[in-house]
Amino acid sequence: MLAQASMPAIEIHGLSHWYGEGALKKQVLFDIDLSVARGEVVFLMGPSGCGKTTILTLLGALRSVQKGEVRVDGVELFGAGEKQVVACRRKIGFIFQNHNLHRSLTALENVRMGLEAQGKRLAVDADARCLAMLAIVGLADHAHKRQDKLSGGQRQRVAIARALIADPKIVLADEPTAALDSTTGYEVIALIRRLARERGMSVLMVTHDNRILSLADRIVEMEDGQLISAQTPASHIGRSPAPADNSLNTGEVTIS
Amino acid sequence: MSFAARILGRTPLGWLQLVHHPMRFAMALAGVSFAVILVFMQLGFMNMLFDTTVMFHKQLKADIVLVNPAARNLIDIRTFPRRRLIQALGVEGVADGEAFYIGQVNWVKPGTSDRGIILAFGVRGDFDVFHTPGVTALQPGLSVPGTALFDTGSRGDFRAFSKLIADGARPTTEVAGKTIQFDGIFRLGASFGSEGSIIVSDQTFFAISPKALPTTPNLGIIRVESGHDPEVVAQRIAAVVAGEDVKVMTMQQFITTSRNFLSRESPIAYIFSFGVMMGLVVGIIIVIQILSTDVQDHLPEYATFKAMGFTNRSLLSIVYEQSAILTVFGFVPGLIASLVCYELVRGAVSMPIAMPLDRVFLVFGMTAVMCFIAGTIALRRVSKADPAEVF
Repeated sequence: MLAQASMPAIEIHGLSHWYGEGALKKQVLFDIDLSVARGEVVFLMGPSGCGKTTILTLLGALRSVQKGEVRVDGVELFGAGEKQVVACRRKIGFIFQNHNLHRSLTALENVRMGLEAQGKRLAVDADARCLAMLAIVGLADHAHKRQDKLSGGQRQRVAIARALIADPKIVLADEPTAALDSTTGYEVIALIRRLARERGMSVLMVTHDNRILSLADRIVEMEDGQLISAQTPASHIGRSPAPADNSLNTGEVTIS
Repeated sequence: MSFAARILGRTPLGWLQLVHHPMRFAMALAGVSFAVILVFMQLGFMNMLFDTTVMFHKQLKADIVLVNPAARNLIDIRTFPRRRLIQALGVEGVADGEAFYIGQVNWVKPGTSDRGIILAFGVRGDFDVFHTPGVTALQPGLSVPGTALFDTGSRGDFRAFSKLIADGARPTTEVAGKTIQFDGIFRLGASFGSEGSIIVSDQTFFAISPKALPTTPNLGIIRVESGHDPEVVAQRIAAVVAGEDVKVMTMQQFITTSRNFLSRESPIAYIFSFGVMMGLVVGIIIVIQILSTDVQDHLPEYATFKAMGFTNRSLLSIVYEQSAILTVFGFVPGLIASLVCYELVRGAVSMPIAMPLDRVFLVFGMTAVMCFIAGTIALRRVSKADPAEVF
């Protein structure tokens, strides 16, 4: 247990990846090495098409690892079978750019799907847990609304609640603020950061949003399928101060 | 948590997806109900044919019958030599027997100038052979030549005519060019082959059916003595009379043979079975269309669920849940509508069309299989939902 606690949540060594076959085969990742400590919030930045999302899909066991080592919470994904893949996905909370809530379900039911994804029968207190989680993201009063009755920010908060309800060890987020205004975007990421701190979750987030950079513990930059730098937020933003936010407890930033 | 979620231990996603699109759901239910009605009507018509074919058989007080070996049904029953019947009467275990005559005759429908064809049964007036209520008491009166009993279940509106007979007015109409007086009524019902029937004495039968001869009856009615097994007696009779010109059967064999001829040797059963298949195919196509559209609409959500850790199996159960819902909610209105249609058909054609419980279960099973097949075809798309595409 102690060994596992000291082990990084995410470890990538020598990861390369290709798309296509034959003459159309194209390498998109080149010998990537990256590790994310437990409780660490890491932003992954870089121009479109540089391979950020590919890394997320490989870490999320949504694609097969072709070359290199990818360990998620100690589980090696290279050559993993279907059972290991599903088990790995269940350790991860996914937050998507387009929230991907189910249209037929209420906010509460969408959050409950995060529990059902664990493959167990719903416990009697499942709804109480979901309501508590919705309260954490500030949506207790919107629990029984469908997504078409929620604003973009509220939908993204529901998606966050869904990602976190099963107490994941790792959160993978792909541009979660893309559809949000600056204030809402900052609030949402601050919330993720606070929960990461409270629950010891590791967060790897793909973002282009310069407004939230101060909330990262570390910022990793990519270009053309390669990692080119890893910096603290302060050095990345040119030491400009983070936007003031007195309403949310964002936690203390620790640079690893 | 909803009641369904508590019972299932999961969110009833299939149900919620269906009711989220009420119009589509209503169309799916209408499609399933339509298929159910088609199947019920085809099975109803087929069994109506089978039932009416042996409807007359079941009215006879007979243990054994003699018929022409080539006889197929009442309309094409043919004849056999009467001497075979006389030979049979001498066999050990036979109590009594009589010749029975069956033929189609022209008649003028009472109260109209319309002509039609009716089935005439001729038997000696003092030979009590019918189970049909009321006939035993009226049959002796048929010994008066030119008299008949009328089947009030005949196809057409004969209420006034039947009432006249019941009131003792003894109305007449023309049968095979002869004026026949109706002294009583009974109820048998029409069939696919005949509009209705009359019962006359053998003498009256020969008068209205000139080609019929006393020496060549259509059916030999034989009853066995108490304590004798009809099958054993039938074997004894067969040993004495069987040959090219007569066939000996117990009453149950006669009923089974008549029914089997239709179900196995005539194309009728195939035609109705084909109708049943068409109904099911129509249902499958409609349900595939509805479920495939639903799956296609929710493909990004299915992919998201896969990314979250749902297994393919748990997602497939959503589609099968929808199949089960369409089965139950489509079957019930289909059954109710079919019962209404049965009632309409019964009134229109004066033939028995029943809804036995085993048919209800059979069609429910067919509906479940239909929706299951449609679900299986539709859910292939679920397996193709790629979780990597949700990022």
